[in-house]
Amino acid sequence: MSEIAGKLFTWVNTRLPIANTFERHLSKHPVPSKVNFWYLFGALAAVTLIIQIVTGIWLIMPYSNTEEQAFSSIEYIMRDVDYGWVIRYMHTTGASLFFAVVYLHMFRGLLYGSYQKPKELVWIFGCTIYLAMMAEGFLGYVLPYGQMSYWGAQVIISLFGAIPYIGESLELWVRGDYYISGITVSRFFALHVVALPLVLIALVFLHLVALHEVGAGNPEGVDIEEYLDDDGVPLDSVPFFPYKVLNALVAIGVFMTVFSIIMFFFPEGGGYFIEMANFQEANPLVTPDHIAPVWYYAPFYTMLRAIPDPLGGLIVMAAAVAIFFVVPWLDKSKVASIRYKGIYSKIAITLFGVSFLTLGYLGTVGVTEIRKTMSVVCTIIYFSYFLLMPIYTKYENTLEVPKRL
Amino acid sequence: MMQQKLILKINYLIFLLFFFSAIQAAEGGPCKDYGECDKFKYSLNDIESLQRGASTYINYCYGCHSLKYSRWGRVAKDLQIPEDIFFENLVFDNSIKPGDLMVGAMPSESADWFGVMPPDLTLVSRYKGDDWIYSYLRAYYEDSSKQYGVNNLVYPGTAMPNVLLTLQGNQKLVCKDIPIIASNGGEQRDNNGDTVYKEKCGFLEVEEGTGELSKKEFDNLIYDLTNFLVYVGEPIKATRERIGWYVVFYFLIFTALSLLLYREFHKDYNS
Amino acid sequence: MQNKDKTRRKVLIGLTSAVGLSGLPFAATPFIAAWNPSAKAKAAGASVKLDVSKMQYGQQIQVSWRKQPVFIVRHTDNSLKSLDLSVSKLADPNSDNIEEPYRGLNASRSKSPEYSVFSGVCTHLGCAPKYFPEIEPKPWDATWKGGFFCPCHGSMFDLVGRVFKGVPAPTNLIVPPHMFEGSILTIGEDKEL
Repeated sequence: MSEIAGKLFTWVNTRLPIANTFERHLSKHPVPSKVNFWYLFGALAAVTLIIQIVTGIWLIMPYSNTEEQAFSSIEYIMRDVDYGWVIRYMHTTGASLFFAVVYLHMFRGLLYGSYQKPKELVWIFGCTIYLAMMAEGFLGYVLPYGQMSYWGAQVIISLFGAIPYIGESLELWVRGDYYISGITVSRFFALHVVALPLVLIALVFLHLVALHEVGAGNPEGVDIEEYLDDDGVPLDSVPFFPYKVLNALVAIGVFMTVFSIIMFFFPEGGGYFIEMANFQEANPLVTPDHIAPVWYYAPFYTMLRAIPDPLGGLIVMAAAVAIFFVVPWLDKSKVASIRYKGIYSKIAITLFGVSFLTLGYLGTVGVTEIRKTMSVVCTIIYFSYFLLMPIYTKYENTLEVPKRL
Repeated sequence: MMQQKLILKINYLIFLLFFFSAIQAAEGGPCKDYGECDKFKYSLNDIESLQRGASTYINYCYGCHSLKYSRWGRVAKDLQIPEDIFFENLVFDNSIKPGDLMVGAMPSESADWFGVMPPDLTLVSRYKGDDWIYSYLRAYYEDSSKQYGVNNLVYPGTAMPNVLLTLQGNQKLVCKDIPIIASNGGEQRDNNGDTVYKEKCGFLEVEEGTGELSKKEFDNLIYDLTNFLVYVGEPIKATRERIGWYVVFYFLIFTALSLLLYREFHKDYNS
Repeated sequence: MQNKDKTRRKVLIGLTSAVGLSGLPFAATPFIAAWNPSAKAKAAGASVKLDVSKMQYGQQIQVSWRKQPVFIVRHTDNSLKSLDLSVSKLADPNSDNIEEPYRGLNASRSKSPEYSVFSGVCTHLGCAPKYFPEIEPKPWDATWKGGFFCPCHGSMFDLVGRVFKGVPAPTNLIVPPHMFEGSILTIGEDKEL
């Protein structure tokens, strides 16, 4: 039996590089031996992506993408389908935690310079994934066709209307109707379940291939490729299997504990993961009292609100995301990790973090005069972090990076 | 060095805390003129409360408000009422089968009677919240300027008459003299040592003897009704929370084991 | 020391894998269970009621239960008597080879001596057999005593749905649970079952 299996394996392996690929990218792939918890969110993002894909496929089956049925089909899933509630709550919790994990993953990148030469492409693919996720999340949020789905989509689609000359016809074209109707829902559905997942999976593949080409980083910013053993393996590295797998396993355990606490005890996430108003079917004639975006868009929504002019707001919001793409060329520092950067960088990233969280908070509450001022201040801090980066990273005193991990 | 870092981190946290509390300005209470809603704590394992709530709902509310995502048989099963007893006592229409949705008994022209179509209430506990329902149903008061002679503190100008009026009795909005609280926390007294009162309005008070139920009994009735609406908003909620304990427990064990395993292998490259 | 470490490792690997793998069936449960008929499908497939007193003697009607045809035949005295004539042609006259809810109760195989109630889905490949009550030679059987003939592959059944010998259909047509309350027939539900 095992002889036959062995022969079959050899037959396939001489035609398809299974063993090689497996060793190169998984079992023997060298990873830095000393990293901290910040380096675990990538694995968690992968786990969440898989959860989203599997639960997503199962949700497509009972979901109905028509104007009359969309909302009630969600209740059908929650009540009439056996364990439908598990699958749906997994998907909604997964969506929020996907963003949480990706935000932490991105912040890790900023902290430890995970974008610096030669990792620019890894970073850019990552930013593109984030962009695709934002679109994916938005489209998915429209599908239950509740009040927040409707009015959230109304606000976002109206943004297109701010574009000069073509705005209004673009808005109409995106909706395919004079309001957000079943026609809109069904095209969003197609994009959400087929088009964007394909794009996301392709991007994740590219992200990983590029990462494996240049090697994973570490919180010290040390280039482990400098010191190799006789076989050409970095001295400060360990093979992916079993060492990093076990590391990831612990992270997955913790993550899934948090995941199940939310999913089974606080699936609405206090109104931040599933908003209360979204338990009411979409009604184009009645706007809910309080429109807030889902928490993961909140920082950008606040920037949009901070600018009085719609087009200006749109540009600022788009720029806030787009600016991530050019970070590799904004950072002029000799060192990668925040540990060896100077005091200016440390202050800058702290202020950036605080302003991002504040913007997020402000996006979920109503507007007052003081909050409006705060939004403007935080938006300025947010952009200063990036735009001043070439200056403060170039002229600050950095510490010397050790040779080995 | 370590200590300095810790102090820095603590300072940082305090700074964040201040920062967020500064922008957390008060917004109007979620229960409008009522102020903060009364707190409601559901108890979905109290089957008897749910049964009473279901009975109240079907007798007083179902005539106008459907529960169109819920099925009769499911309610009977979840509330542990034998199907024949349930159908005999709560479902008056013989043509209804257990698998049918509770689509209501309201003809569609009813929109004209109330100005609006009475909404479906399957999900009311999820989009309004249980606190809101519990407060709303107890906040009706006499107001002759309104169509049905009543108004509501939680939902001013509500289109719904007080269906439970005979049970609750006439509730009125009254003014009371209440003691002024002095700066030291005690009641403020004047020079003669008498407590100083100030008239304050907006209190709800039921006229003695006008209702079939006492205040406590009525509150219990609304508790059960709200509890039922919480159930019907998410029938799986009690089960969900029960399963949740097992799942969380499972992942804790899994985490602990994988942590031990990780530490064991960690020795290989970090000794 | 080295040895002790190895045992510890083995035990920990064993435990972690066991706990990890034991979670898989639980994780798979929702996804498998979600494919069961939903409450909506169950409600739609619960039961159908009809009044059979308006049927004429010898008439056959078809009702839909769970979107599948169910045949109801109201027998004449003659047709019930003629059942015996073709017993020798039947493959399983007493329905011993299938689950029969009302075996031996009535010649009609149903809960009523007068009506037959059985599924209109041929047990061969699922076509709907056609009703030919006449006692006359037919192209497919020169000694036809009335019954059902399936146009797809030539399976033959008698007037109460029992299969003939030597035809492709393996078993008699299936009798669903049913009950009579006066002349009201309920298909899909039997309170006595």
